[in-house]
Amino acid sequence: MITAHRLTKTYGRRTAVDNVSFTVEPGRVTGFLGPNGAGKSTTMRMVLGLDRPTSGSVTVNGRRYADSPAPLREVGALLEARALHPGRSARDHLRWLAVSNGIPSARVDEVLDLVGLTTVAGQRVGRFSLGMGQRLGIAAALLGDPPVVVLDEPVNGLDPEGIRWVRTLARDLAAEGRTVFVSSHLMAEMAQTADHLLVIGRGRVLADCSTADFISDHAASYVRVRTPQHDAVATVLRRHGLDVAAHGGELRVQGLDAAAVGELVGHAGLLLHELTLVRSSLEDAFMTLTADSVEYAATPAGAQR
Amino acid sequence: MTALGALSPTRTAAPAAPGFGAAVRAEWIKTWTVRSTGWSLTAMFVLGAGLTALVCALAAEDLAAGTTGEPVGAFLTWGMMFAQVTAIVLGTLAVTSEYGTGMIRATLAANPRRGTVLAAKAVVLTGTLFVAGTVTALAGYLAGNWFLDREGIGVALSDDGVLRSLYGSGLYMAGLGLFAAAVGLLVRHTAAALSIVLGLVFVVGNMVMLLPDAWGEWATKLMPGNAGGRIATPESFNPMLLDPWVGFAVFAAEIAVLLAIAAASFSRRDA
Repeated sequence: MITAHRLTKTYGRRTAVDNVSFTVEPGRVTGFLGPNGAGKSTTMRMVLGLDRPTSGSVTVNGRRYADSPAPLREVGALLEARALHPGRSARDHLRWLAVSNGIPSARVDEVLDLVGLTTVAGQRVGRFSLGMGQRLGIAAALLGDPPVVVLDEPVNGLDPEGIRWVRTLARDLAAEGRTVFVSSHLMAEMAQTADHLLVIGRGRVLADCSTADFISDHAASYVRVRTPQHDAVATVLRRHGLDVAAHGGELRVQGLDAAAVGELVGHAGLLLHELTLVRSSLEDAFMTLTADSVEYAATPAGAQR
Repeated sequence: MTALGALSPTRTAAPAAPGFGAAVRAEWIKTWTVRSTGWSLTAMFVLGAGLTALVCALAAEDLAAGTTGEPVGAFLTWGMMFAQVTAIVLGTLAVTSEYGTGMIRATLAANPRRGTVLAAKAVVLTGTLFVAGTVTALAGYLAGNWFLDREGIGVALSDDGVLRSLYGSGLYMAGLGLFAAAVGLLVRHTAAALSIVLGLVFVVGNMVMLLPDAWGEWATKLMPGNAGGRIATPESFNPMLLDPWVGFAVFAAEIAVLLAIAAASFSRRDA
């Protein structure tokens, strides 16, 4: 379990993480979601004691990371795929990590096998692709067989097979009862992996709820109705207890699917020109939620002229 | 591929805290699994032993004739003047390569006790440089003295200051490496740290002689390379320098102060 209490980090006048409190529970995958620059990596670095919070605190299983006697056996972390010396082999990188935390050396080959790097274990990591580096980082995170796993943008640079592998791995780790904390700026990826979402923007928590709740709250769907008999149709639908909103020339109806809405209008003997189920995507929901908190927003091409 | 099978068997209940020995072994593996270590130490040996042998071979005849006015002892570890560059490089890289690659985060995640990490690094670095420096100086002495012997001006290991200059070379290399590592810890950048230390030892150390009167004399005596380097040679070309052990004590104190500042910064700053 990871517990942050009023965690704050400022760099000069810029506040990267702003009074953030959350709990990451064991036994499920918690997605840490936010646009680039939202404060995800800074938060994760504070979890690992690499950056010192300006105020507030964060603990792992009840104690500060720095107070852990053998931290790799308690928390496994992938922070950046490239936190490696390019001249060192994959096996040597894992060897010194293992030795530093009293982890048996047999475990090195186990995790190499687990991430599928056995055949290139003796190669210098400078030659690795981004995806291979990412796999090595995950191997390092799993080295101590830790009950808490922290992965910062683990699918970056992975091919589709690798992405699916990370997804399955994260779910398996959670199913074993571990605490799994995965950051991403990709909403769709998180929707498929995470049981719980912690959404952050400009250093503040925007949402902390189950993925299912997030989807039903934010990715609303409605039925678009176009009709020449605008007011009559709206009246009929409202009479049946539906939520009807007029947007320009169309009606947006919530509460029933398209077929049921069509039947109601048909029974009333009214005309329909269009009947469409519109589902706003999770990506849209995420964009809407974080719209005000995107640090580097590009101006749409058309708007510049 | 599933995580379960491979993860469960080795699951440990209560992790015992690995001590200082584990930190040293981890740093030892890190040191010897990158090529730069081997290259730096090879360069130290080639420069240190090779140039000593070369200068002795070239100067032996003139020295025997007594026409140079230079002390013979000053030539016995002559190559170490150049070999010290490699100690500075090794010491700098021990720290800055971690910052350059982002490795420092892996290091501090594996061991969040930063004082322990720094001490382990220092032990491995100074141990390696002490042995390499002493071996290099010994090889240079043996080769150089062979040429001096032929001219009848050979120096015995038991002669005044000779043995001291050999392990003194090891001590000086270790000290320089530590000094460079401390600078690396403060500036966290390879090129910047190298420029500062090389400039201090090779440029500023000689320029201060131009200061007027006692200022120039004392600045020269106290500059790290000048104070610390005297222990690495039986006799010096420069009679102005502090006595070997006095100079080394000054050098050690300078390292201690710099290291204390670097350690305080290291324990406080974000990685």
